[in-house]
Amino acid sequence: MEVERPRQDNPAMTLDEASMEQSKSFVKALQELKNLRPQLYSAADYCEKSYLHSEQKQMVLDNLKDYAVRALVNAVDHLGTVAYKLTDLLEQQTLDVSSMELKVSCLDQQLLTCQTFTVKEGLRQQQLLAIIPRHHKHYILPNSVNKKVHFSPHIQTDARQSHIQTRPRLFPAGTPASKTLSWHLASETKSTLKGSRTFTRLVTGTLAYTLIMQLYENAEEGARTKSSAAYLQLSNAGPVSGAAMQTLGGARRDPLDGSKPLTAFRSFDTPTRREVVRTPIRSKSMLSAFFVKQKTLKT
Amino acid sequence: MARAGGITEAVNVGIAVQADWDNREFISQISHNVRALFDFLVKFEATTKSKLASLNEKLDTLERRLELIEVQVGTATANPSLFTP
Repeated sequence: MEVERPRQDNPAMTLDEASMEQSKSFVKALQELKNLRPQLYSAADYCEKSYLHSEQKQMVLDNLKDYAVRALVNAVDHLGTVAYKLTDLLEQQTLDVSSMELKVSCLDQQLLTCQTFTVKEGLRQQQLLAIIPRHHKHYILPNSVNKKVHFSPHIQTDARQSHIQTRPRLFPAGTPASKTLSWHLASETKSTLKGSRTFTRLVTGTLAYTLIMQLYENAEEGARTKSSAAYLQLSNAGPVSGAAMQTLGGARRDPLDGSKPLTAFRSFDTPTRREVVRTPIRSKSMLSAFFVKQKTLKT
Repeated sequence: MARAGGITEAVNVGIAVQADWDNREFISQISHNVRALFDFLVKFEATTKSKLASLNEKLDTLERRLELIEVQVGTATANPSLFTP
């Protein structure tokens, strides 16, 4: 354990020592650079005096040239070492500062957590003191009609009479009002969804029926070849139209017997005529046959 | 004899001129290197100044953050009842 302690301390000391040695070497190099200046001044004075007073001037000049070159190289070397040590020292200092920034940010985060804890604790203590009442939602309509109107969830949806079931039913007063409005609304949406599918089917069927009737009348007025071409076109359009044509052929007389033919479409060709427009009566047998045919095609 | 003297004088002048040209070339090279050294020193001074300025700014921000932390810790230690459940 005692051996471990100095080992644990040595890394910390070596880091400080390394930084101290770095700074020491920088200071030493800087001092040497500073000392280089008086040396160069003294060498320049000596060379000047010797050139003036000696007889072998050429030799002095040659020596002076060599000394100038060496002095320049020496000065460059010293400046290089000082610059290198200074940049190294600055890099070390920036690294230390960045590590300190990280530590400070850690401290900030710790303080922030403490603050949030105190705030939350305070809020919790305040919340415990206050008792907030809760109200259940029971909505009852005004008593003007003296009846409670709400949708019954127990309606059985049949395939034949599905379009009728979407209507609301009035129940007599006295029924229990234990069910909440949200529950009733949820049950209503389920029933309306089922009704909407049949309703769309009905709409598409009626549209197809009107189109077919229009084409049939137009074909009847023209030549037989034109009508046959129209029939062929309709049959090639798809199975639905083919089924519609079959039903049309089968129950062709029913709409015609019930009402006048679709003379309104003739009015587009001859605008001078004014004729009564009557929509064809949609017999139940016709529609039921149409829907049955559709089902058979889908299956 | 006079001609030989003249020739020697011309040769000496030539040699002197050559030496002078050599000296001037040497001086120009020395001055060029000294100017390069001076440019290096100027650039080094600029970069070192910028690095020191950034370091100083970082230290200033660190000082302010530490002061703030010190104040916050002081307030927290002054009211220890806040942390007791």
